[in-house]
Amino acid sequence: MQQEVVLAMLAKEPSHGYDLRARLRLALGPLGEAMNDGQVYVTLTRLEKAGLVECEQAAGLPDRPDRKVYALTAAGQQRVARWMSDVSWPRPDLAEFHLKLIAAASAGLADPLSIVDAQRRELLRRLRDAERAAMAEPDRSAAGLLLEGVVLRLQADLHWLEACERAWTTRRDY
Amino acid sequence: MGKVLLVARLVARDLRHHPTQAVLLLVAITAGASTLSVALALHGVVSQPYAATRAATAGPDVVAAMQMQRTGGPPAQLTALKHAPGVTGSSGPFLLAFPTALEAGGNSDPVIAEGRDTTMAGVDQPKVVAGGWVRPGGVVVERSLADLLDLKVGEWVQLGASNDYGSGGGQIAMQRFQVTGIAVTAAIQPSPISNFMHPSGFAEPGLVWVTQSAAAQFANAEGGPFAYTLNLKLANPAAAPAFATAHQSGPLSLVSWQSISVKEGLIISIEQAVLLTGSSLLGLLALASVALLVGSRMEEQTRRVGLLKAAGAPPSVVAWILLAEQLVLAVVGAAIGLAIGWLVAPLLTNPGASLVGVPGAPTLDLPTVGIVIAAAIAVAGLATLVPAIRASRVSTVRALADSPTPPRRRWLSTKVSAWLPVPLLIGMRLASRRKRRALLSAASIAITVGALIALLMFRQHSQAVTSMGGLYRFSGPGDPLWDRGMQVMLVFTVALVVLALVNAILVTWATVQDARHTSAVERALGASPDQVGLALVAAQLLSALPGAILGIPVGIVLYVAVGRHNSTVPSVPSVVAVLLLTLIVVALLTAVPARIGARRPVAEVLQAETA
Amino acid sequence: MPGTDSPAALRATGLYKQYGKDAALVRAVDGVDLEVAPGETVAIMGPSGCGKSTLLHLLGGLDRPSGGEIWIGERSISHLGERGLARIRRHQVGFVFQAFHLMDELTAVENVELPALLAGRSPRAARRRAKQLLDRVGLADRVSFLPSALSGGQRQRVAIARALVADPLLVLADEPTGNLDSEATLEVLRLFDELHETGQTLVIVTHDSRIAATANRMIGMRDGAFVDETRLTGGTSGSLGALIGLEG
Repeated sequence: MQQEVVLAMLAKEPSHGYDLRARLRLALGPLGEAMNDGQVYVTLTRLEKAGLVECEQAAGLPDRPDRKVYALTAAGQQRVARWMSDVSWPRPDLAEFHLKLIAAASAGLADPLSIVDAQRRELLRRLRDAERAAMAEPDRSAAGLLLEGVVLRLQADLHWLEACERAWTTRRDY
Repeated sequence: MGKVLLVARLVARDLRHHPTQAVLLLVAITAGASTLSVALALHGVVSQPYAATRAATAGPDVVAAMQMQRTGGPPAQLTALKHAPGVTGSSGPFLLAFPTALEAGGNSDPVIAEGRDTTMAGVDQPKVVAGGWVRPGGVVVERSLADLLDLKVGEWVQLGASNDYGSGGGQIAMQRFQVTGIAVTAAIQPSPISNFMHPSGFAEPGLVWVTQSAAAQFANAEGGPFAYTLNLKLANPAAAPAFATAHQSGPLSLVSWQSISVKEGLIISIEQAVLLTGSSLLGLLALASVALLVGSRMEEQTRRVGLLKAAGAPPSVVAWILLAEQLVLAVVGAAIGLAIGWLVAPLLTNPGASLVGVPGAPTLDLPTVGIVIAAAIAVAGLATLVPAIRASRVSTVRALADSPTPPRRRWLSTKVSAWLPVPLLIGMRLASRRKRRALLSAASIAITVGALIALLMFRQHSQAVTSMGGLYRFSGPGDPLWDRGMQVMLVFTVALVVLALVNAILVTWATVQDARHTSAVERALGASPDQVGLALVAAQLLSALPGAILGIPVGIVLYVAVGRHNSTVPSVPSVVAVLLLTLIVVALLTAVPARIGARRPVAEVLQAETA
Repeated sequence: MPGTDSPAALRATGLYKQYGKDAALVRAVDGVDLEVAPGETVAIMGPSGCGKSTLLHLLGGLDRPSGGEIWIGERSISHLGERGLARIRRHQVGFVFQAFHLMDELTAVENVELPALLAGRSPRAARRRAKQLLDRVGLADRVSFLPSALSGGQRQRVAIARALVADPLLVLADEPTGNLDSEATLEVLRLFDELHETGQTLVIVTHDSRIAATANRMIGMRDGAFVDETRLTGGTSGSLGALIGLEG
């Protein structure tokens, strides 16, 4: 869970750990079901150590993580403000796959085409899942919008895989 | 300069890209132009035959003749006229021997034989249209007589005195003469002589020219009436009627050229009448069908207009491009049409010789050429103008979408057609979808039917009139000139029918083309090819039927305007026959392309449409 | 599949279509074998020019094959004339086109009822069924709208309703989302999904992997022939969370 995300979620007002979790779940919809609850707390602890977040104990309660109230520090607020205007985009990891194919071909580890095929099948199945989920969402839900982005990314990746298939059919080495 | 080149290039490209369209349009314009040029060539020549003949033969202003009861030289009273005040020239007196018997092909006809010198006369020198002038042993036959008896130069006939006054008599001393020539003249004898009735019902007897001595022979032989004739030229031709009245006395009779002209004007040969009427009808039909065709083609140019405008062409350039293309086709079509007309016009007249009553072949003189080209350009230009202006005003977006009119709810036809059997359902919806096309079809068919009915009425009228005598020079079937007149009528009928067919083919083809996309979609939805074929025929008939019915009044109006006769009503059975025949032909002409199109796989058609 | 209780909804063997001759001979479809069980959704994918549209036209009787056999239900259609093919299109096959091909002077309901009218059903029955279908595709409130007043997705839904009017054995769709944007595509996807749920047999030709991913079977096509086949009924290797990088 990206640190900035958790920080930004606290920007509105200080909140409990379980509050944060709930809001994240809501925003991610069915995709958030696989979210590991512990992740949130781990991130919060790291942020506290970095001085971006401070936590207060709710008075009169034992020292349990979900009872703590977290709030942004001044430094944390600055970080959030910077993140809002930051335009770096999550990096797609195509290089890894590309190198996998080259390695497979040069070292004779496997047939690049069958790697591509297998990956295509997997992505298709993922596409199917994402689409199913998208169709199940009510119109204009937040999660629906996220799912559209996932679908479109998968589509783009599938296009590239098709190009890989065409290229690797004719060339046996790169 | 650059713009002109651009326009030229775009026009050439478009013509190459849609060759079938261009060719069809060219065919229509050529058909129109050729009929128009034939029509004009014949019309001009036929309508004023007398004036042309008079000019070509140095026709006389006054013709004087005096009947003689006994042999002798020319009477002094007649000869004195040569020196009468106002006379500037004369020829004659010439001896007229009548009746002289002319025997050819087993038949004997009484004719007037006029004795002439072998040299040319100053006034009234008959113009030879075939062969040469008189010589001893030879006879020159007047044009219409030669037609009647089917005489040709070089044939041998027998001439001799006759005492046949219509009551049956014998021939005396027949001699062989060779036909040395055929000629026309503007001089017709004054009344007593020309009242000599030919047994076959001629208003005037036939005329032949022989040498003076031969004529004297005939005149002397039977001792019957003969006459001398004198041709006079006056200083003031307009005063001819006064001159004729002034000098009329007793056996001396005179006739002015004005009277002759009126008489000639009244006497219209059936052939002339056919040529006049037929050519006018053809010309009108040609003009109308070309105008309609060009107008309907403009419909299809809308998308092109959109593309041009989208590329940045201002409306004026767009209009120029559309106009230029039409003009190119019009000029080329007119040129080809003129060439065809020049070849065909002489064929419609007396083969080997010249037009009836007029010397010289109908040439395409400059005015005629000018008129045809101007007409082609005018029709193309006018028919382009309105749609071009409209098209260049339409917004680019609409033009690109190729729906010049936004699709409108056709409430009534949609509701009604749902209850009809499938072919009529599709057909009715097709027809209401393209209202303008349907109107153009109807108009085309109305004019075609109108022309056919006018022709029909003309045939009716000309057949009915034979019993009236007087108006028509020749009597009826069996008379070679009548037969030829009817032949010419047949040629015109065929030409009219061919033009009508071309028109009908273009109209029906356009309808089927138009409906391609819609019928392909219907077929994709399950309509069978037969249903679609029937639907197209139904759609075509839906516009053809009112058009054909409208053609009846159109035909009557055309006939009155063109035939110069009082209005009559065409016979009901013939009208019904024309209507039925037209509708059947239209249905067949639609069914053929429809059937061919309906056999093509649907996918081909749909893809061609969206391409 | 031989031996199963119900016959294949669609079967093709050795199908090919060629154009031109000699040196210019081109095989748009080159030796295709296909079998579609009733209730299956099959997606045929491939780059443009691979012949997938031609194949679909052949399967739907809109074009004649140069060789091979096609059966729809139990009936062989490869030797039928245009009249017989028209009958097939009336009762057995519904077609959905990329360009919609709706009559733009007819309202939505008039467009949908048209195949029924062409098949000879009474106007009342046709109208009733058309309204039913428009309701089913979610356009009950747009029944009297002209196509020009409908969005792309709505027009395609009308076209789909039209394809269903005869309750066909088989619905063939040629690039149904080719002219649609992302949101309209989702509308159409939902509709296809519902049709699949009701047991309708669908064969969809597309180059959009989103559509393909909703099918039971996805067949890849290149240069007129099938090159691979993927069954998509199995589950994924990971949960949904993996899609956004959440480890499960």
